[in-house]
Amino acid sequence: MTANADVQVTELGAEDHACLTFGESEELFDLTAAFVRDGLSAGLKVVWLSDVGPGLAAGELGRRGVPVEPALAREQMTAAGWEGRLLTGQAFRASAAVGWLAGELESCGRQGFPGLRVALDMSWALRPVAGIEELPEFEEGIAAALDGSTAAVLCQYDRERFDPVTLASVGGFHTRAVAAATYHADALLRICRQYAPPGIRIAGELDFQAAEPLALALAEAVRLGGDITVNMSALAFIDARCTLLIADAARAAGSQSRVVTLRCQPEVAKGFARIGLAGLPGIRLVAAGDR
Amino acid sequence: MTGREGRSQGGAANGAAPAGFTPLDQAFDADSLYALRAAVAAHAAAAGLGRSQVYDVTAVAHELAANAVVHGAGHGRVRLWTDGDFLYCQVSDDGRDGFANQPSTSGDGAAPWPAEHGHGLWLARQVADHVGIGHGPSGTTATARFPLTPR
Repeated sequence: MTANADVQVTELGAEDHACLTFGESEELFDLTAAFVRDGLSAGLKVVWLSDVGPGLAAGELGRRGVPVEPALAREQMTAAGWEGRLLTGQAFRASAAVGWLAGELESCGRQGFPGLRVALDMSWALRPVAGIEELPEFEEGIAAALDGSTAAVLCQYDRERFDPVTLASVGGFHTRAVAAATYHADALLRICRQYAPPGIRIAGELDFQAAEPLALALAEAVRLGGDITVNMSALAFIDARCTLLIADAARAAGSQSRVVTLRCQPEVAKGFARIGLAGLPGIRLVAAGDR
Repeated sequence: MTGREGRSQGGAANGAAPAGFTPLDQAFDADSLYALRAAVAAHAAAAGLGRSQVYDVTAVAHELAANAVVHGAGHGRVRLWTDGDFLYCQVSDDGRDGFANQPSTSGDGAAPWPAEHGHGLWLARQVADHVGIGHGPSGTTATARFPLTPR
């Protein structure tokens, strides 16, 4: 029921070589959005390598309250694929990939940015790529390149798809382990912190038996300050007890200066509306499909 | 059974059940509420209800069963049947105190909000067309009724 990471994604700084493990794409995009958001707002250059493509990347980040089009336009941010950077003709060579990172560090300095943030979606390594055995050498090379630099690298590994041996073999080269703070996770329900926009995310089916981790997650979200989003987009069922818990937290925290947004499916939204939550000051009840 | 909506009354087979629908009769305890919701949702959908109504029936079945788990014997049975006009969802608890702390009234006199204690039953009465509760020597039975045609 406590945070299962050494450090939160929002606490990363220069020279950090962080290993992010995630369980689903929603979590990956959320943590990446927070990493990008904090980098851009600090005036850093931000690079995100994935197979998402610049358009989709901008869309995913924008949905999470991180508008990146201006940063992409002025080249403060790059969202690109792996080819020509980590891979050459679908082959991997650690020295070439580390060379690409060194080049990014150099050009970042030349462009006058005070630092660099690089997010690397590592799912390319799950494909049949030649030279994959050099992955640990690559991670070691990143650690060396970051030493004394003003850059941070966030390597993103899907914990469901990478085997534990591979994760263990690269883990040692990272200085930080990052994951979403998780309050409850089993086959039916996941309650974790959301980083962009800040709040909590609840997916699956929620009933009174998970009231305790839910209350803890709500209490921590309220304590963190600022606007809160309770993202229930992937919540298929909520019972009366938990509806009441969330409603009470929203009523207590929501005010003119602090907005609590409840994002959910129409059936779940109906439950909140039934107990009078729609239209209250400081509370936004957004059903899927609404704007 | 002293309930107003006992199975013998509400479940009279005076109308045809929707094609594809089969009655449900399933045991539950604290560890099988998910299975209960899945089964109720599947049977309610087979009765021809729309997505929103399927959710409502599932929510009511869950709340009545949760009452039995938390305040009653800790286990019970859920039954679903139709008479062609209505879908009936009945939760019975073979303990004596399943709904003992709930007022034994019909759906018209819903408890005023806010009432955390008994909120599940409050919700059932808001959502269902009618809820009846009966106490008997063999335990407590709650029956919720839903129209099969949209109101």
